[in-house]
Amino acid sequence: MISRIWRLLPGPLWARVIQAVVLAAAFLVALHFFYDWLGKAILDQGGTVG
Amino acid sequence: MQDTDIAFDGEVAQPVDPGDTLGLRVLHNAGWTFIYLGFLTLGFVVHQLFITTWFAQQAQSELALEREEQWEETEISEVVVVANPDNPNEPIVVPESTDAPDQGEQGRPLVLKVESAPELGTAFALIRIPRIERLQEGWNVVEGVRTRDLRSGAGHMPDTALPGQPGNAVISGHRTTYGQPFHELDALDPGDRIEVDTALGTHIYEVREFRIVKPTDTWVADPREGAWLTLTTCHPKFSARERYVVFAELVFGPNAEAIEVMS
Repeated sequence: MISRIWRLLPGPLWARVIQAVVLAAAFLVALHFFYDWLGKAILDQGGTVG
Repeated sequence: MQDTDIAFDGEVAQPVDPGDTLGLRVLHNAGWTFIYLGFLTLGFVVHQLFITTWFAQQAQSELALEREEQWEETEISEVVVVANPDNPNEPIVVPESTDAPDQGEQGRPLVLKVESAPELGTAFALIRIPRIERLQEGWNVVEGVRTRDLRSGAGHMPDTALPGQPGNAVISGHRTTYGQPFHELDALDPGDRIEVDTALGTHIYEVREFRIVKPTDTWVADPREGAWLTLTTCHPKFSARERYVVFAELVFGPNAEAIEVMS
């Protein structure tokens, strides 16, 4: 899948590298928020009552 | 001529069983899907156990400095109060100009040291539990139990008493993520000490009892006669299904004697 996305990126090599880094960063941030939400929903809500 | 596929080199292509191709493709895609799901799950575990803890530890370092500043800015005053039978969290303050208050049903007046209320999200206390290794050095407590408050430290529930004050001070904390401050709360036994440092000094509580309740059981935060500390965290470990609650009573501190007399 990663190589497929890499092949879809337009432009010369340096432009594709920059796009890949931006995409990877955005993916990690999105993944962090998703994990955070999931963790709060099922694992640990901080122990609050009410 | 037969209806068959002709290759470029003129050779007749071998007939292929479509069932096998479809089956292999499904198997191939399913395999990759499970591999991706496995990585996602592994990432989730690593994120919850280690990355959130890293965030919390970074926040704790900043909160320690913030707490020191907060203590310097906190206004401490002495007020004469009598017990409030309707709300033990808020004793009735006797104005300075008033003569000795009526001791009738409200009990004896006492001089109480009070600190100004911290702003939401501000670190104002340090909780230490000698019995629990990870809390021997202390964990900063912030005002508020919003999600962002609890990511950085333990959270004091607003509208409950401040630690060291009459009533019921409620502090919540994560059990399995974000530094896991209350991970071993169930290791406490009656009689174990809990120490809370505030701008007033160190307040020492003794564990009296513990309960497992539903997350909606708000009665655990109800005001109590005397001075109590209630710690709440998720239960069982790695689940938000219930809450583990520890009730501890103030036994020593700047206000301990006065509160004992009052109650």
